[in-house]
Amino acid sequence: MNQSPAPVPAMAEQDHPLDSLPGDLMIWVLIVSELLVFGAGLLAFLGVRIADPVAFAQDQDSLNRVAGAVNTIVLISSGYLAARAVHSPNKMRLWLSGSMVLGLVFLVVKWFEYTAKAELGIGIETSQFFTFYYLLTGFHAMHVVAGLVIFALIMRWPNPRNLEGAAMFWHMVDLVWVLLFPIIYLVR
Amino acid sequence: MKYQTQKIAYWYFLAAMILFAVQVSGGLIAGWIYVQPNFLSELMPFNIIRMLHTNSLVVWLLLGFFGAAYFLIPEEAEREIHSPMIAYLQLIILLVGTLGVVVTYVFNLFHGNWFLGMEGREFIEQPVWVKVGIVVAALMFLYNVTMTVLKGRKTAITNVLLLGLWGLALLFLFAFYNPENLALDKMFWWYIVHLWVEGTWELVMASILAYLMLKMTGVDREIIEKWLYIIVATALFSGILGTGHHYYWIGTPGYWQWIGSIFSSLEVIPFFAMMAFSFVMVWKGKRDHPNKAALLWALGASTVAFFGAGVWGFLHTLHGVNYYTHGTQITAAHGHLAFFGAYVSMNLAIFSYAFPILRGRDPYNQVLNMVSFWLMTGGMAFMTFVLTFAGTVQTHMQRVLGENFMDVQEGLGLFYLMRWGSGAAVVIGALLFIYAQLAPRREVISQGTGEEA
Amino acid sequence: MTQSALTRAFLTLLALSIGTTLLTELRPQAGMGFVALVLLLAGLKARVILMDYLGLRLAPMWQRGFNAFLVVFLLTGLGLYLAG
Ligand code: HEM
Ligand code: HEM
Ligand SMILES: [Fe+2]
Repeated sequence: MNQSPAPVPAMAEQDHPLDSLPGDLMIWVLIVSELLVFGAGLLAFLGVRIADPVAFAQDQDSLNRVAGAVNTIVLISSGYLAARAVHSPNKMRLWLSGSMVLGLVFLVVKWFEYTAKAELGIGIETSQFFTFYYLLTGFHAMHVVAGLVIFALIMRWPNPRNLEGAAMFWHMVDLVWVLLFPIIYLVR
Repeated sequence: MKYQTQKIAYWYFLAAMILFAVQVSGGLIAGWIYVQPNFLSELMPFNIIRMLHTNSLVVWLLLGFFGAAYFLIPEEAEREIHSPMIAYLQLIILLVGTLGVVVTYVFNLFHGNWFLGMEGREFIEQPVWVKVGIVVAALMFLYNVTMTVLKGRKTAITNVLLLGLWGLALLFLFAFYNPENLALDKMFWWYIVHLWVEGTWELVMASILAYLMLKMTGVDREIIEKWLYIIVATALFSGILGTGHHYYWIGTPGYWQWIGSIFSSLEVIPFFAMMAFSFVMVWKGKRDHPNKAALLWALGASTVAFFGAGVWGFLHTLHGVNYYTHGTQITAAHGHLAFFGAYVSMNLAIFSYAFPILRGRDPYNQVLNMVSFWLMTGGMAFMTFVLTFAGTVQTHMQRVLGENFMDVQEGLGLFYLMRWGSGAAVVIGALLFIYAQLAPRREVISQGTGEEA
Repeated sequence: MTQSALTRAFLTLLALSIGTTLLTELRPQAGMGFVALVLLLAGLKARVILMDYLGLRLAPMWQRGFNAFLVVFLLTGLGLYLAG
């Protein structure tokens, strides 16, 4: 192999914009991807609603708005506790357990909402509204479950870097909910 | 060549190129049958030729990937391949299987036999005994390269490459499950076909691209790895649930229309990122690598992949659009440009890079190679436009006005003739490429004399 | 980020959420003004989460990008609502 071009001192990139992001770059790739998915899903929901706003309003009336509002408060509080866990290394477990308990509360409330719908015979194929309701809230709830699993792993094997990433994931779940809740439960 | 065992790649690439010639020639015959429907109908019916065309495509691309792995892993892991013997044995098994497939198809042997006969599922029609052979070969391959990497240096490039190769091998196992129920059959079939080209193969492509950029532009490995991770993350995030874009009309529940539309739209992102990656690296890197042809193919691959997979994919991926275009010539247009850009071109890029090294020569016949690039890429682009046009007309007449399928086809004759013409350019380009790799002439381009990429 | 800043962010979120709830109670029969307000409150909540929980306050360029995304998203949402 006699093709050895002069090696070039490769680019030193001190002030690359990606480096200014707080935390792990991959978490931000995930956050942006999730925002795009939920954002597209919510806009599609509003787009499909145009064809029949009355049916959408009727279906929406069978949702439990109080449960949704309670869950908003539960999630933002949980997010606060997770953020505290990151900033208080010696009380990390305490804060994180609190955050996890609230995450579980969110899921329990969600569970009651789903079973109440099931008892009325409402499912994902019932109407366009409910297709979106189940897809979006279900997908979000799966992220809550995933977040709790990640937190459990961190409790077992604590590590500041992973904790920071896990908390950012949790904030993303929060972020999605504060956009999802008003659009699905309230806009009419 | 730094490591002796890189030579294994030579034989894989050689076998791949021979099948490449067979594949495009098969396409040309299939294309002619569209023009002259009775051509060869006694000897070899259209469905057999089509099957040869698509299957040899998949096989040679895989041979190319295997070869690429054998070529780049020693350099990345900084050690020889674990066992060259296993590698050659693997190649022999694959070639015997390929031969078995061809003979079975062409003579329609053992029709209906579950073990020896073909199965009639596009891209994975191989008889079961060949499938078993493929799995054995894949296991040998994975064992061989994984051992090499485990004992050597681990880099992001080899990690991603292995992830892609393991993934594609595991997904192939679904080929053994062939349910009677046609909806289920299709559902699992897409686990392979879609999760290959819009998942695991994409990882292989990204990793080869990253390797070529590392070698040819001289940009820091750290920067290249950052791009690679972003590409991989976005590809898997969008591609897995993107499978839903094949579940619109096959009897799967209606919510797939939304899952498929939303996630598959995001599949554009990794393809865009690969294109941006290659151009940014070339622009930033100051190294003036003499292998202009390999660089041209690498840039071409990421660009054409973006258009073929990204743009032409997005064109028909929303379920509202796909309702009309499903299974028309639009699909064929997209299938050709996507496969050509992403996987054919990336293979040809690594061949172009590796061959001079494997044969211990300076880059040679650069001009011929670059001419073949423009012939093939131009031909494919033209074919895509022609088929897109034909598909638009077909969609309108057949799906909107509701005319009969065959009546519509009658009206598309001119398009099919033009498709054949552009196909002929591709075939000439392919033969020229192979000649340029193998012909022993020496011809180093000096500054100013060659055409610039 | 200091703890007091975190706590302030949390209290802001709490206030915004209570605002949304009150608004829902006051105006159950909806309408354009109601929806615009609800979306505005959602956007403010999202902004606090991005800036303080996720720390974008330290990366002004990214903060602008995400804000732009939120504005476009919410305005498109409002537009789609009005079209229906
Ligand atoms: C490297 C180049 C090529 C690639 C990657 C390629 C790939 C493919 C693929 C993936 C399919 C299946 C499409 C589907 O399922 O919708 C296909 C079918 C076909 N290809 Fe190619 N092909 C190539 C070259 C050619 C050439 C040169 C011709 C010549 C005109 C050709 C003609 C055809 C025809 C006629 C079909 C069958 C279409 C049908 O059934 O309607 N291909 N090819
Ligand atoms: C390199 C990547 C890709 C390759 C090689 C590829 C290849 C193909 C092929 C061969 C088919 C036809 C399959 C058949 O029915 O036999 C197909 C179908 C399809 N592809 Fe791709 N594709 C790629 C990426 C994408 C992307 C990124 C999108 C979306 C953005 C996409 C959207 C679609 C859709 C919607 C269909 C179904 C068409 C129909 O309903 O007939 N593809 N693709
Ligand atoms: Fe697909």
